Amino acid sequence: MASKKRGNQELRSIWDWRITAIAALLLLIIGLLGISFGPINLRFDQIFKTILGLPNGLTDQERAVLIDLRLPRVLLAALVGGALATSGAVYQTVFRNPLADPYLLGAASGAGLGATIAITNAHGNLYGLLPVFAFCGAILAVLVGFFISGKFFAEPNSLLLSGIAVGSFATAVQTYLQQRHSASLRPVYSWILGELTAASWRVVTWSSVYILVALTILFAISKQLDGLMLTDEEAYSLGINPNQIRVVAVIAATLATATAVAASGLIGFVGIVVPHLIRGVSHRVTNRALPTIALIGAAFLVLADLGARTLLSPAELPIGVITAFVGAPFFLVVLRRKRLINQ
Amino acid sequence: MFKRVIGVVSALVLLTTSPSYAVASAPKRIISLSPSATEDLFAIGAGPQVIAVDDLSNYPTEAPITKLSAFTPNVEAIAAYHPDFVVLNADATKAAEIKSALENLKIKVFVERAPTTLADAYSEMTALGRATGNMSGAQTVISEMKRKISQIIAKSKRHKPLNIFHELDATLYSATSTTFIGHVYEDFRLTNIADKAAKADDAGYPQLQSEYVIKANPQFIFLSDAQDGVSSSDVAKRPGWNGISAVKYKHVVALPQDIPSRWGPRLVDFYQTISIAIGKIG
Repeated sequence: MASKKRGNQELRSIWDWRITAIAALLLLIIGLLGISFGPINLRFDQIFKTILGLPNGLTDQERAVLIDLRLPRVLLAALVGGALATSGAVYQTVFRNPLADPYLLGAASGAGLGATIAITNAHGNLYGLLPVFAFCGAILAVLVGFFISGKFFAEPNSLLLSGIAVGSFATAVQTYLQQRHSASLRPVYSWILGELTAASWRVVTWSSVYILVALTILFAISKQLDGLMLTDEEAYSLGINPNQIRVVAVIAATLATATAVAASGLIGFVGIVVPHLIRGVSHRVTNRALPTIALIGAAFLVLADLGARTLLSPAELPIGVITAFVGAPFFLVVLRRKRLINQ
Repeated sequence: MFKRVIGVVSALVLLTTSPSYAVASAPKRIISLSPSATEDLFAIGAGPQVIAVDDLSNYPTEAPITKLSAFTPNVEAIAAYHPDFVVLNADATKAAEIKSALENLKIKVFVERAPTTLADAYSEMTALGRATGNMSGAQTVISEMKRKISQIIAKSKRHKPLNIFHELDATLYSATSTTFIGHVYEDFRLTNIADKAAKADDAGYPQLQSEYVIKANPQFIFLSDAQDGVSSSDVAKRPGWNGISAVKYKHVVALPQDIPSRWGPRLVDFYQTISIAIGKIG
């Protein structure tokens, strides 16, 4: 009894779960805002009646707007935001590099090449397969980087470097294809800036499977991930096999990233800003924060998407523009405050 | 003395008016790096002078298509054809530099700007006619186009206000009334739903939200992305779209390939397509 209590206290000193609860509440509130606003005015009370299945709710068309347009879009934004933020945090731990982001290891360039192939193919009939191509491109690029670096994680930096080389190669091929098919420049461009306009229940369904599996794995190994912040000898002495954890972590994080990219294009900055924000605000570097990082990443992207839909309404603004435009200055403020505290 | 003056004057008059003079200065080896200009050149009778066209100039079929790029022109590749006249699109990569490089090689360059009105398109045709020695051909084509287009518009039934949505691609990019394509719809007095989003893009090509298209409830949807494989059944499958008037009454129109994005003589076909479509309802 006494020891269990002490264990809880230790855990609390590592991570305060109340922060996670607040993050979950925040995501819920922002999610509700997300489904409440759009070009068509839907009344709050009617939205609730419809969700709760009560009579006197929305008309059939309003229902379709809520259920088939807004809800999948908000859910997809949440999934993608959670995936990118979590895999960013994991990459930063695995590579012991605060600048590591989910698109490291060539995942973004590989996905970009896959998407461009789908968009620029001769008759446009691969367009519907864009997510599959982007997904395969991302996974392939990371695998190639893996095999070229050879020793895998004995030296994380060699994987990083081969990832950069593979990424540059994929970008070169992508640019070549784009030049040869300049007529399809706009779809490629809007995909690169990131878009959630294609959100539908089908996309939400398949992406949620991969993302939730990947996130569950990462949450489950969060304690061992903390061990990677020590030297490898110290990690072994704690009963952790660092290379094994690294392989599992990178595969899971890449799966989450590739799925996010395939579903929504390249949305930058979430994977760097959110982990540092949570770690900066909480003064904790522990990977116990991963669920919180996922929740805040989700909330951040849902909010950014709300901006993308409303700022130029009834037109769209690419969401990647918002994440960087809002994220970068905010991030700088957090960095500066953190520096002042450290002094 | 008097005789000599007469002689010089008459020689000068002959020189400036005779057809042989015009032919002497008319280009004989034309390269067109613009699909629209290619269509213009062949329509006004400059076809025999055209020796090469860019890789997207797929009409008319007798146009000598090559691998030359209109978007990223290569001076050396162009010069290899020994042209004496090149039509260059103003939006091509580094158009100004390409132009001066070609001019250094003593090649005449005609910079073609994307028109925003039908009048712009006509004046471009006139300019091409003048520069290539096909002035009368250009004038014939223009007056034919004018006659046919005004006939089509006059014949199109008077109708109650109609909302239209012109779809550029499946991510719902559209064109407002300030664009060249938008003016065509304007000529039929159709209301373009993209106009409400005009402030989003100063070139007139905003990306609309799916929800807004549902709200605007257009009576007609024109698919200029039909050539990319988007069909009316794809449109009907989009969430919430089956309630849109155009979808309900099957007024989703697949536009013919390339025609809506070119400002050549085939514009008449585009007017015809719209006229037939809206003729279906009174």
